[in-house]
Amino acid sequence: MQLEVRHEKSVMVVTVINARIDAQVAEEFKNQMFQFISEGNLNILLNISQVSFVDSSGLGVIVASLKQLNGQGQFAICNMNDAVVRMFKLTRMNKIFKLFDSEEEGLNYFANLSTD
Amino acid sequence: MQKKADIENSYSKSDFQQSILYHVRYSTGNDWDNVSVDDLYKAAALSIREYLIDGMLSTSKRYNDQNDIKTLYYFSMEFLMGRSLGNNLMNLGIFDLAREALEDMGVDLEEIRDREKDAALGNGGLGRLAACFLDSLATLGMPGYGYGINYQFGLFKQEIDNGFQKEKPDQWYNENSPWLISKPEDACIIPVYGKIDHFEDMDGNYNPMWMDWKILIGIPYDFPVIGFGGKTVNFLRLFSAKSSDEFDMSIFNDGDYFKAVEQKIASETISKVLYPSDSIAQGKELRLIQEYFLVACSIRDITRKYLSQNDSFDNFHKKVAIQLNDTHPSLSVAELMRTFIDEYDLEWEKAWRITEKTLGYTNHTLLPEALEKWPVPLMEHVLPRHLQIIYEINNRFINYAKNILPNHPDAIRNMSIIEESNPKQVRMANLSIIGSHSVNGVAEIHSGLVKERLFPDFHQLWPEKFNNKTNGVTQRRWVLKSNPLLSKLLHEVIGDGWITDMSQLSKLEKYMSDSGFLANILQTKKENKERLAKVIFESTRMRVDSDTLFDVQVKRIHEYKRQLLNVMQIIHQYLTIIEDKKDLVVPKTYIFAGKAAPGYKMAKLIIKLINSVANVVNKDPLVKDQMKVVMIPDYKVSLAETIIPAADLSEQISTAGMEASGTGNMKLSMNGALTIGTLDGANIEILEEVGAENIYIFGHTVQELQKMKQDQSYNPREFYDNHFHIKRVMDIMGSNALCSDISGLFQPIYNKILREGDYYFHLADFQPYIDAQEQVSLDYHQPEKWAEKVVVNIARMGKFSSDRTIQEYAHDIWGIKPCL
Repeated sequence: MQLEVRHEKSVMVVTVINARIDAQVAEEFKNQMFQFISEGNLNILLNISQVSFVDSSGLGVIVASLKQLNGQGQFAICNMNDAVVRMFKLTRMNKIFKLFDSEEEGLNYFANLSTD
Repeated sequence: MQKKADIENSYSKSDFQQSILYHVRYSTGNDWDNVSVDDLYKAAALSIREYLIDGMLSTSKRYNDQNDIKTLYYFSMEFLMGRSLGNNLMNLGIFDLAREALEDMGVDLEEIRDREKDAALGNGGLGRLAACFLDSLATLGMPGYGYGINYQFGLFKQEIDNGFQKEKPDQWYNENSPWLISKPEDACIIPVYGKIDHFEDMDGNYNPMWMDWKILIGIPYDFPVIGFGGKTVNFLRLFSAKSSDEFDMSIFNDGDYFKAVEQKIASETISKVLYPSDSIAQGKELRLIQEYFLVACSIRDITRKYLSQNDSFDNFHKKVAIQLNDTHPSLSVAELMRTFIDEYDLEWEKAWRITEKTLGYTNHTLLPEALEKWPVPLMEHVLPRHLQIIYEINNRFINYAKNILPNHPDAIRNMSIIEESNPKQVRMANLSIIGSHSVNGVAEIHSGLVKERLFPDFHQLWPEKFNNKTNGVTQRRWVLKSNPLLSKLLHEVIGDGWITDMSQLSKLEKYMSDSGFLANILQTKKENKERLAKVIFESTRMRVDSDTLFDVQVKRIHEYKRQLLNVMQIIHQYLTIIEDKKDLVVPKTYIFAGKAAPGYKMAKLIIKLINSVANVVNKDPLVKDQMKVVMIPDYKVSLAETIIPAADLSEQISTAGMEASGTGNMKLSMNGALTIGTLDGANIEILEEVGAENIYIFGHTVQELQKMKQDQSYNPREFYDNHFHIKRVMDIMGSNALCSDISGLFQPIYNKILREGDYYFHLADFQPYIDAQEQVSLDYHQPEKWAEKVVVNIARMGKFSSDRTIQEYAHDIWGIKPCL
């Protein structure tokens, strides 16, 4: 599982390099995400612009990551393609995550949070 | 491309021949010198397919060009299409051209038509009704499509071994059928299984999430359905469950490739086999998944198509009508709601309004115990999100119903979607009624019983939802195609208008006293009987005489249809000859055909009984060929097309109140068979049309049987003790006279009638049946009088065209119109 990580102020931007988040990579993806959170990264913007498909185990990791934050931070997602959006709607996950069309919009959201 | 787009004018023999030669060479890979009959069938079908595809494209364009067109989608787990080559040639209007073209090439069209395997994607009446409806929709130029499952194995092939039914798998062409057009680009990805994660959304509201599902992939295959005249070609869309490695990779842009591959075997099983009866399917996880697979693929396909032309779902119910053929597709209620709410964020109330206005439900079941239910734990395992939605629908419904009927707790309990049993059950009929704007039965008597007996509480709540749509059959297949001799005679006498307007058959009435016409009618029947006699000989090696009365009972073998009553009457006739030394008024050939569900022991025993009686009767020299009994194996649509035109007498003898409609009764009557039947299903409406003097009605009415049940006054033993004829027949069945090789074989039948209450009232109706049969013989003995009755039956069958049925559905329920 290839993830690219950078920090924008208090936000950790995690960009998924893989084209798929599925059963083959789900465990590793989960471990890495949990590691980031345990290291104190509580505001995470997941950029999945390069992901063309997420299966149910991949979706499960994203939900588990949100749970892992335990309400202490924010988890947002940006740059989802239509197929991934459909999977989010199918599961109703679109109702529990902030979803943004671009990384910039996502970062603005976090910036506004800190100023509120 | 306009190669063959003008399908009304462009046929020529040489075009057709060129196309055949092309496909023999390039589709089957053979030289003309080495071509087999199977190759010729395939080449002919592929040649016709080109016309069908052109017709489909032009029809689709015609529909699309009309902005506000509403489309009907007919959801059915069964479509009993039968063979298509002859039907397609007939409806294209090039049957004679094709026959002559092939003749010039030294090929017999009949021989290659006979090679086509039936598409037996159904059990019986329900599936054949769906096929007839598609024919009528296309002929009427209405935008209406069938949605079903592309079973690899249709209904089993029946063989008779030592009198017993043996089942063999029947693999039709499936995806290799020349009629099917694969549409992988329209593949549907369907989730199943999983669990609900109870979460809150960002506003703190409850947000259930459907997680950990597995993937099913449905590939559509379109089966063109051409209307008479060829102007309209609709299609039946059949979904195959496929794993991922066999088609275009682009599907996996939104698919779960690796899981799909892992699930290859499991997922392809979904469309592997048609369940041979509702009772066998009950409670089976695979069947539930099949029903869901059909519904989910279809709704995904329909919503995708709708959204390609519309921005919101506001007008969905104005553009889309979905009819549920029995309860099998009733998960549509939950799947439509899930789609609207979860995937497109519609508010519950709005989603519900659209769902209800979109769906209509046809009930085919009269027996409360036969209504489909699914255990809640199984539903939760397979479809956890749908179960949640069903619970929510039920909660809202119960609150509503309690307001309307505040002091009727029993009614509320009866109407609840959830049956409070252990385990709890989801009642699919209740789900369908609550989620549909229309609930219809399929014959007048049936629709009445649906309201009064089956769902009285729903009827009290929503009387306006309930209506009747008496079944019908397509005269194109059941007269024009299956009975060319009668069709030719009709053509000579009244023209061809009846092919698309069956009420025109009434023009025959003025020929009722025309002795020349009556003689021709009888001659036509005789030739059809000779054709059937050949088929009987080929399949059973038994010779039957076409001068005898052909007494026909062809349908699924079931106790309520009472093949047993027929057999008892045959035994009675046999004993009349050999013990009472009385000759029959007319010699008779009793013809049976039909399959029993593999797990239905009593029905299978009845098949053995028929064959055992045949064995005794046919070999007894004392009978002197006055009667013969034959069971033709492997009843299917193509066999029905040979048997029905040859029948003199149509046996429609179900226990009153148990046959919803029947359609065999209509097919036989319009082919000039007189009906001997009970006051059940559409028999009653046939009686109304032809008059009491042209049909042989006997037996107890629904009300009389109901009263006997309520009073517990029916005692079959009394009939046995007090009627010599009955005792004699029962004693033979209880003895080993009919089964010398297996002692006591038919004892269960004897016990069921005399010791277990005779649930289907055989003995109550036995003497009236014998009397009716005697009247049949007396009338048949006077050929001209009989022929008059035959003509009345043919002339007055206009009501029973599926064109009339479809026009009623279109006007009253679907709101669709012809688009010509």
